[in-house]
Amino acid sequence: MEMIKAKNIYKSFGELEVLSGVSFNVNQGEAISIIGPSGSGKSTLLRSLIGLEEINSGELYIEGISIKESGKKAYEKMGMVFQGFNLFPHKTVLENLIEAPVVVKGEKKAEAQAKAEELLKKVGLSDKVDSYPAQLSGGQKQRVAIARALAMEPDIMLFDEPTSSLDPELVGEVLTVIRDLAEENITMLIVTHEMGFARDVSDRVFFMDHGKIISDTVPEKIFVNPESERIKSFLTKILSQTNSSH
Amino acid sequence: MFDYIINVSGYILEGSIVTFQLYFVTAIFSVIVGIAGALGKISKIPLLESILSLYTWVFRGTPLLLQLFFAYYGLPVLGITLQPFPAAALTFIINYGAYFTEIFRGGIESIDEGQYEAAKVLGMNYRQTMSRIIIPQTVKRVLPATSNEAINLVKDSALVAVIGLGDLLRAAKVAVTRDFSIIPFIIAAVFYLVISSVIVTAFRKLEEKYSVYE
Repeated sequence: MEMIKAKNIYKSFGELEVLSGVSFNVNQGEAISIIGPSGSGKSTLLRSLIGLEEINSGELYIEGISIKESGKKAYEKMGMVFQGFNLFPHKTVLENLIEAPVVVKGEKKAEAQAKAEELLKKVGLSDKVDSYPAQLSGGQKQRVAIARALAMEPDIMLFDEPTSSLDPELVGEVLTVIRDLAEENITMLIVTHEMGFARDVSDRVFFMDHGKIISDTVPEKIFVNPESERIKSFLTKILSQTNSSH
Repeated sequence: MFDYIINVSGYILEGSIVTFQLYFVTAIFSVIVGIAGALGKISKIPLLESILSLYTWVFRGTPLLLQLFFAYYGLPVLGITLQPFPAAALTFIINYGAYFTEIFRGGIESIDEGQYEAAKVLGMNYRQTMSRIIIPQTVKRVLPATSNEAINLVKDSALVAVIGLGDLLRAAKVAVTRDFSIIPFIIAAVFYLVISSVIVTAFRKLEEKYSVYE
């Protein structure tokens, strides 16, 4: 089943065109990594999918429903995880998880709570139910944020550089959680600079440059035998950076 | 001497009833005005923003005493006559509402954009986002400034003595003139200090309560 269909999406911030005709499809259960240099439009693309940015033109279908026609409804099928976590600091971990299910979906508190505890177990944070975000490490915060998004039972998960603001030693624990999700066949799109992760986990990799997807292919192809010089030079550069920083 | 202090204290305490009434009426309604004003200011509706900017500019930029005179002595010229207490309460609510509008606006704007985005992707609407995510965090941030205003209000309330309202200060002044003694002023000062201290303590407790996170 086709979960996302994007046709010729354009998005500008003032004079600056950030997305210049992006088209792609994502099928049920696929894990897609979106890579590319900064400023290439990766985050904007993700944010456009969930309505945080309004696209200027183009068509966007979520599970066959046009965003234009359904308004908010299509977004409800997606969950998003941010680079900066964006947990609610005045709420405990548990409250962060049950907030939207109770307030938006009208779930019973006890039910939402049971589900939240289940999710926290899954991300390995059962002992942090009553902690406030400020008491957690970056990696723990991001795992809570993932659980919070999952609590709304989305069909599609969007990850916007989920490990970019983490200390290197905390990246692994977050990637492990995302990897587990990929194995559960949740449809997901991940904007990432973790090339090893993109290679291992994703079914397809989008390489973006100057507001376009210039390569949409299986990871084996892009990492082993990149089609263009542009991709090759990007990968060489980023891999050398990664090696020197470890 | 001791009897005199007790007597005068009783007299001043009676006057303080008006002070308390004015205090609570102003505190409650000016906070409501402030929240509405702040939400209006961040609404991105240009006309509303302009009107509210004019409002806060005028009422924060002119003396409260002038505003009080205007309401009590000025409005009758225009055919609107208010009794002293309504005139004072109205002036104080509008004046403090202007300060709270700016304080709350600053507080709301200090909340990270990511909080709105997180709420949005979780499907929360504007009302839910403001009431459950943004405003609760704002409360914590504006507590210190609000505490200052709450103490200012205790002292500003004494201004109503000039339009003949029988408040705490006026009672003290009457006693001073009547008895030719300085003691009523000292007692009034003690009253004001006690009230201010109670307010400071209450706000400190609130700030402690909110410090559980961050």
